[in-house]
Amino acid sequence: MTLHLSPRIEPIMRSVLAERDLLAQLVAACGSPLALVLPERLAENVAAFRDVYSDHRLGGRIYFAHKANQSSALVRQLAAGEAGIDVASLGELQHALGAGFTPDRVMATGPKNREFLWLAARTGVTVNADSLDELTELASIVTGRRLPRVRVMARLSGFASSGVHVASRRSRFGAPAGEIGAVADVVEKHADALDLTGVAFHLDTIGVAEKVVAIEGCLAALDECRRRGLRPWSVDIGGGFGAGYLADGAEWERWTTELTAAVLGRRPPLTWDGHGYGLRNDGGTLRGALGLYPAYRPVAGAAYLDRLLRADAPGQRRPVGTLLLDSMYDLHVEPGRALLDQCGLVLARVLEVRDDGGDTIVRLDLNARDVSLEEHGVLMDPVVLPAPGSAAASGPVGAYLLGNLCLEADLITRRKVFLPSRPRPGDLLAFVNTAGYFMDFSATTAIRRPVARKVALYRDGGAWRWRLDEDYWPVHPRAEAA
Amino acid sequence: MRYDAMTDAIGNTPLVRIDPAVHGLRNIDLYAKMELLNPFGSVKDRAAWTMVQPLLTAAAERGDTVVELSSGNTAKALAVIAGMHGLTFKSVTNRMKVPEIKDLLLLLGADIEELPGQAECLDPTNTEDPLTRMHRSLAAAGAGYLHTDQYFNDLNVEAHLHGTGPEIVKDLDGRAPDYFIACVGTAGSSTGVATALRQHNPGVQVIGLVAHKADFIPGIRNIDEVHEVGLFDPGVYDAIETVSADDAIDGLLTLVRRCGTLAGPTGGGAYQGAVRHLRAVDATLTERRTAVFIVCDRVESYLSYLRERRPELFRQPPRRNSARTVTDAEAAGASSLDVAAARDWVERRRGLVVDLRSPYAYQALHIDGSINIVDELFAELLHGGLPFSRRQPVLLVCPVGEKSARYAALLSRMGHPEVHSLAGGVIAWRDAGEELVRD
Repeated sequence: MTLHLSPRIEPIMRSVLAERDLLAQLVAACGSPLALVLPERLAENVAAFRDVYSDHRLGGRIYFAHKANQSSALVRQLAAGEAGIDVASLGELQHALGAGFTPDRVMATGPKNREFLWLAARTGVTVNADSLDELTELASIVTGRRLPRVRVMARLSGFASSGVHVASRRSRFGAPAGEIGAVADVVEKHADALDLTGVAFHLDTIGVAEKVVAIEGCLAALDECRRRGLRPWSVDIGGGFGAGYLADGAEWERWTTELTAAVLGRRPPLTWDGHGYGLRNDGGTLRGALGLYPAYRPVAGAAYLDRLLRADAPGQRRPVGTLLLDSMYDLHVEPGRALLDQCGLVLARVLEVRDDGGDTIVRLDLNARDVSLEEHGVLMDPVVLPAPGSAAASGPVGAYLLGNLCLEADLITRRKVFLPSRPRPGDLLAFVNTAGYFMDFSATTAIRRPVARKVALYRDGGAWRWRLDEDYWPVHPRAEAA
Repeated sequence: MRYDAMTDAIGNTPLVRIDPAVHGLRNIDLYAKMELLNPFGSVKDRAAWTMVQPLLTAAAERGDTVVELSSGNTAKALAVIAGMHGLTFKSVTNRMKVPEIKDLLLLLGADIEELPGQAECLDPTNTEDPLTRMHRSLAAAGAGYLHTDQYFNDLNVEAHLHGTGPEIVKDLDGRAPDYFIACVGTAGSSTGVATALRQHNPGVQVIGLVAHKADFIPGIRNIDEVHEVGLFDPGVYDAIETVSADDAIDGLLTLVRRCGTLAGPTGGGAYQGAVRHLRAVDATLTERRTAVFIVCDRVESYLSYLRERRPELFRQPPRRNSARTVTDAEAAGASSLDVAAARDWVERRRGLVVDLRSPYAYQALHIDGSINIVDELFAELLHGGLPFSRRQPVLLVCPVGEKSARYAALLSRMGHPEVHSLAGGVIAWRDAGEELVRD
């Protein structure tokens, strides 16, 4: 049985994959691995989120979570449009400002050091504060350096639910929602330095119920702020909208069922060394939990936001989108993965193909950090791109993909990958839809191997053109002449 | 029948023949084991009582909380039994998807703890299953818990080995049926009954039904999830077959509409799966055979589940004066006042300002002198007719001026001569710098 996990490939990605010669030349020139980004698709993904806002008549900003990809081309393309950007470090803030983002479109999030706080305050971006201490430190910088008043949002966590206790994973970020009074105290005490524009949360979950509880908690916190005379106008619900990686839900179901059977010893292993991805056999009973991203997600990205906004708040029994609109609050979101859907791919050259016992081994010129699908638990098949001019391919094969590090653990995936044809040295494997978190978040220069070069592809007339990522700006000569 | 306690009424449920005109099988007598007639409404009453009974006295002395990983009938039965014995009950769940059951458990005084959803940013090292997580949190809390552990507790099987199974044999005049079909949840009832039946007739064919993987049927596990159940032994079943949510609902409709059996989706799935399996067998038979399936619980708790999947079953006659009947053209034609005109209208106290937003939003900030009737309530009032005099001019306010325009058009259609909508809504009012107050 061949157990494919076919990636979802949209027309723009298909069109890139059809450019065999161009892709072969780029890898020949820039080396393997090579990361490709598609800035034009990013704008479409922003528009899909904006459509959901429009349907719900909501205002507010869509902030791209920069941490999902370091590409300059993507950030500059975004700066040319309406979206904002969420920066989580001093370097990301500098990058965003240099790419053309004006401070009113930048949100600083995450744990911050003094330097990050200073540049944020100096340039006037919104600071999404993680804790009371951070608010106090920011106030002291603003006051001490005589900087203008800074827009801040307070990140909250630990929301209480009514009726049913909805448990959430413990978070290391945010002030307890029940202590919103203490947040207001700090803001009032430093009224010359801090301007509270709203409250925020970010929950690491795909569960709508938990987020609905948090949104209702934010509404209560904002009400408390208003009661005290503050004038916040927004709720920031962070990211976590997800992406659908697989084309076919039935394939995903078949594969996970077969994995279960393999873990219980009822079929030959599907994975290197019988790895169970978190499942284990406990005397014939399955224990543990599947430690994989739910890669087939029919409702993801903008559609997930829509579903969330339509969900009823348990306390007020009205959809949270309607409640936000009723209260005239802006909604801010910080999608990363969801905005980068179909925005990039990683190419790797096949170095060696051999048979080892009953297994086929494909050794690639990239390592598991260069395309960190496995680390993030996303399973999807790469696409084989035969070298131009190579003869007709042989039949399908189940293979293990090995990386280029001198580590036993450097498997691109511990899963046996079923490919439609047996690759040959010199062919390319394309790991599609990897722009969000899998391209450079984990990449390393261990053993002095360079991290992948990045190239931006854009369409000019009917043809695909390319620029080195650092040289791409959203002003193509042709487009201007037109 | 006279009993000392409701728990004495658990078990001894009837075995009822399904009319052949309904199922269409020629050579097979199909019987339903009516577990929905247990006092707390389901087959789980047996397991809950069997598991908890031996531990009750000691637990009551210590004041323990009864706890179980359950999202449905086991939780319901345990909550009732705990209440009867002065104990509290806590249900831990990550699958409670049926709102009626949630509400019922709260009504019974149970605490419900929902486990967090899957992380969006995967932590591959975090592979605890819900049961392990529950054990850990119980251990952290120290003593004070009576955990019935339905997925691993052999008493769950024994309740059916000594109860449900022998009852079926007795009602079939001492013979085991040729076929036994059951949905697999905790595997307790199917394993216990199958074992009891085979003691009488080793040739009994046992069919286990699991849910289609992409589907959700309350009370049935899918083909992967059954392996997480300690009581599940694939050797018990001669075949494991899949039923979809659609099958379960089709079966439910047959049972409730034609068989006088107010079954829930699990019973419906069992009926549909049974008939599907038996129909193939029936064609090859030359002598009479007997088959039994279990009707696990009752339909009433699943109305929202059914409404979500088969809205057409609940079709309501259209109600008069519905805002949904207002066309876009009618809404566009409604009288609207821009912010400046509206301010003038308000200042001259021309009439009533009705704010259609939620009470919380209204209380936080609103136009001075306005009253709040949230849109849902306003819609309900209008079904009955105009809620104010025709001589009372009205200005309707909503967030952006869309809902208010619809209601203004509807009020005009109902014969109100002076009703306006605030163009751009309260957001335009705010953005124009007009006053909003908080009482």
